[in-house]
Amino acid sequence: MLRYVALKAGRAAFVVWAAFTLTFVLLFVLPANPVDLLFDPTELNSVPPEVRAQVADSYGFNEPVLLQYLGRLGHALRGDFGTSVQSGQSVSAVVLDVLPHTLVLAVGALLLALVIAFAIALVATSTRHQWLRNLVESLPTASVSVPVFLSGILLLQIFSFKLGWFPSFGDQGWRSLVLPLITLAIPVSGPIAQLLVRCFAAEFRSGYVTTSWAKGATRSRVVVGDVFRNASLPALTIAAVTFGNLVAGSVITETVFARKGLGRMTQTAINTLDLPLVQGIVVFVAVTFALINLVVDLIYPLLDPRLRATFAVPTGPSGGLRRTS
Amino acid sequence: MSDLRSSIESATSARKKWRLPAIAFAILLIAGIAFAATRGGGADPGAADGAPVRGGTLQFALIDYQRSPDPQWGTNYAESLIGNNITDKLTWQDPKTGEITPWLAQSWEYNKDLTEFTFHLRRDVTFSDGSPFNAEAVKANFDQYVHGDPSLGILPNGATLLPGYLETRVVDEYTAVVRFEKPLASFLQASSFTANAQPGFLSPSTLKLSAQQRTDPKKVIGTGPFVYESWEPQAKTVLVKRNGYNWAPPALRHQGEAYLDRIVFNTIPEASVRTGSLVSGTIDATLDVGTTDEKPLSAQGFEILHRGVSGTAIRFDFNSSLFPTNDIAVRKAIQLGWDRQTVQKTILTDSYSVANSILEPSVPGHVDYSGSVLKYDPEQAARILDEAGWVTGPDGIRVKEGKKLVVKLLGINNLVVNKPAYESIQQDLRKIGIDLQLTVVPIPDYTAQQAKAKTDWNVVAANRSRNDPAVLNLQYGPQNGNGAYVTKDSTGVDADEVTQVLGRLETTLDPAARTQYAKEAQDILLDKYALVNPVYNPSQVIAQAPYVHGIVFDAQSRNHFVDTWKSDGK
Repeated sequence: MLRYVALKAGRAAFVVWAAFTLTFVLLFVLPANPVDLLFDPTELNSVPPEVRAQVADSYGFNEPVLLQYLGRLGHALRGDFGTSVQSGQSVSAVVLDVLPHTLVLAVGALLLALVIAFAIALVATSTRHQWLRNLVESLPTASVSVPVFLSGILLLQIFSFKLGWFPSFGDQGWRSLVLPLITLAIPVSGPIAQLLVRCFAAEFRSGYVTTSWAKGATRSRVVVGDVFRNASLPALTIAAVTFGNLVAGSVITETVFARKGLGRMTQTAINTLDLPLVQGIVVFVAVTFALINLVVDLIYPLLDPRLRATFAVPTGPSGGLRRTS
Repeated sequence: MSDLRSSIESATSARKKWRLPAIAFAILLIAGIAFAATRGGGADPGAADGAPVRGGTLQFALIDYQRSPDPQWGTNYAESLIGNNITDKLTWQDPKTGEITPWLAQSWEYNKDLTEFTFHLRRDVTFSDGSPFNAEAVKANFDQYVHGDPSLGILPNGATLLPGYLETRVVDEYTAVVRFEKPLASFLQASSFTANAQPGFLSPSTLKLSAQQRTDPKKVIGTGPFVYESWEPQAKTVLVKRNGYNWAPPALRHQGEAYLDRIVFNTIPEASVRTGSLVSGTIDATLDVGTTDEKPLSAQGFEILHRGVSGTAIRFDFNSSLFPTNDIAVRKAIQLGWDRQTVQKTILTDSYSVANSILEPSVPGHVDYSGSVLKYDPEQAARILDEAGWVTGPDGIRVKEGKKLVVKLLGINNLVVNKPAYESIQQDLRKIGIDLQLTVVPIPDYTAQQAKAKTDWNVVAANRSRNDPAVLNLQYGPQNGNGAYVTKDSTGVDADEVTQVLGRLETTLDPAARTQYAKEAQDILLDKYALVNPVYNPSQVIAQAPYVHGIVFDAQSRNHFVDTWKSDGK
């Protein structure tokens, strides 16, 4: 068991280190001289050479690349990713400042997406009308194909500009969250709903359900009591994986609704080639994913008795472990 | 489904009564939304002008946000715009005449060489933390602004605005002498500069803080008509009125404090959300109005304000030391070879204008070349190319000595009309046998490529906001920006002459002489050596509700809100 934990933790650490190193390499492979990026591009030719040298010196850009790498790595291990070139703020502080906003959006949208997905699956399974089932089953495909940008603008046009029910931008409590959550949840709910519809249908035809029917259960009793419980687990697994898509999707949602967040910050950092900030964000996201995966890895044996059994019987290193994703 | 199951199921009694009300409810809901959607918002009908009303909050929208509240740091529009309202400058440039008028400096004089500028300061000005604004404060600001402070993480932001800055001498409490190593006539205008990385004065207590500490807006102290209330990166900056402010530029004729209690600068990146929020009344005014939104907004009763960005036009800087733009015939043909009417009619709105010189019309010394070198004359362009030995090849592109007439252009996509305008030029030039290849990219890519412009790009497209004719020397002087890459080896260009003619702009502040020098500079850049092809004059466009009054565009087309008021006072 200890060996299993060490292995998984080591893998997580490697992923984070690799993300750090890759971004560092990319930054130096890029065509731009980081010093140039500190000045207004239209004035670039008029920057005196001594000023350029002074700036390179104060950011440490003139040291050998290996020294810069080790220096940055050393600081990063202590949680210090330097200062953002564009604002002078500490990278860690900036990321931690916007993080709650993105988390609220992502977690909220995920929960809403689950609700939508389950609603679709329940309706599709419990209805006795073929047309309604067809309609509902086509929703997931439709929801995936609507661009987030378009649905966001449409929702704003109706519920904000015309009806005035919700604010159109900024952060004014829960009311500001409603439209962005719906916008972000719609495409995310699609894949989950598709999976659920299929699982529900499969479970609906299985033997124990027929037994329930025979015992005189109503349709709703069968759907809620038997099918729902047993068909939900795969959906929860895919929901965790979808979390990554949510963070990525937040870029557009945050832009349309003018919300502060990690997505927009990433976009700005890349647009202005704010190298320390880009690196900080990439490493931070890598840490988050590594941690989520680690937790899933560690929880899995607790949930699945079959997996625990493999630890008892020595079958070689992590032999027989099943992990999807 | 098995027969057994169907029979069990159909045996259970169905309860369908809920369905009818649900459908009815859904229909009502959809009808309600549709009805609301057709009603339309619309602005309040025109509130009367008249005496300014005090109080109220202005909700203002713009595309960008302040990455740092430090006004000397910022290089984007939001940063200069907001910085202008919490800090003041030594002088104020009249946006109409270009004249430099008093502000924090009541009067000034300069030596004959234009290397020493003496400013006599107002005596009643204080920073919002109570400390006095005096010559020491001017010195502390300029020293740090030009040299930066590595130990505080402060960049040398002002190094490009004040080239050759030596020192500021404190003569007495209210007299400061700013000294330069070379004549710098344009410094007088620079003392009023309000655009990116501006010289707005910060309190000595702020200057002692590191870049990181200056991201606490409460500690960024200026002398301006507003002070920071809060700063939320990516979202908004809130300013409140400075009590006791009484030193607006006399030219503005504004007495005392600002009229507004508060301004909220909302960052709204998406254009349709900015206009939608304006139409629905959530905001009072917005900057960064798209060209396609101007007409619909003014049709709905909103006022469109605009001012050209003073400085150089958006222009093509020719690389005079790289084939084929090292051939003056090619440069002249490009100037003559595109239809400016088409660009004005199909791409620009009335808020923008096609360039008729390298200088924007509001810059003192501007000369109109629309009748001579900057007219549309494809026949003459073709003739010039013929005479220079450019022969039309089988694909319609001209060839000389086995090499094709391919001109590589690097541009920025930060202004929406750039690319369409360049594409229109591209189409016209193709007709006379010039293959203009466009690379129009975001700012960082542009910056990265620009570092290699001398060897890789025939044309770099840009503009610069600086309302002074000396901007030509700063951008094209071979010892300064050298935008046309003029060297001793440039064919057919006398580098010394260019240096001399452009350099004269820094040697006098006599209006008549400056006008003369500005004309000579434009002649040499546009006519004699054809080093640049001006395209259009960019503009800053605001749409505002009819009850908003007094948003000021300054000489750099940045906005000041000291004189702004809302007739509803809300």
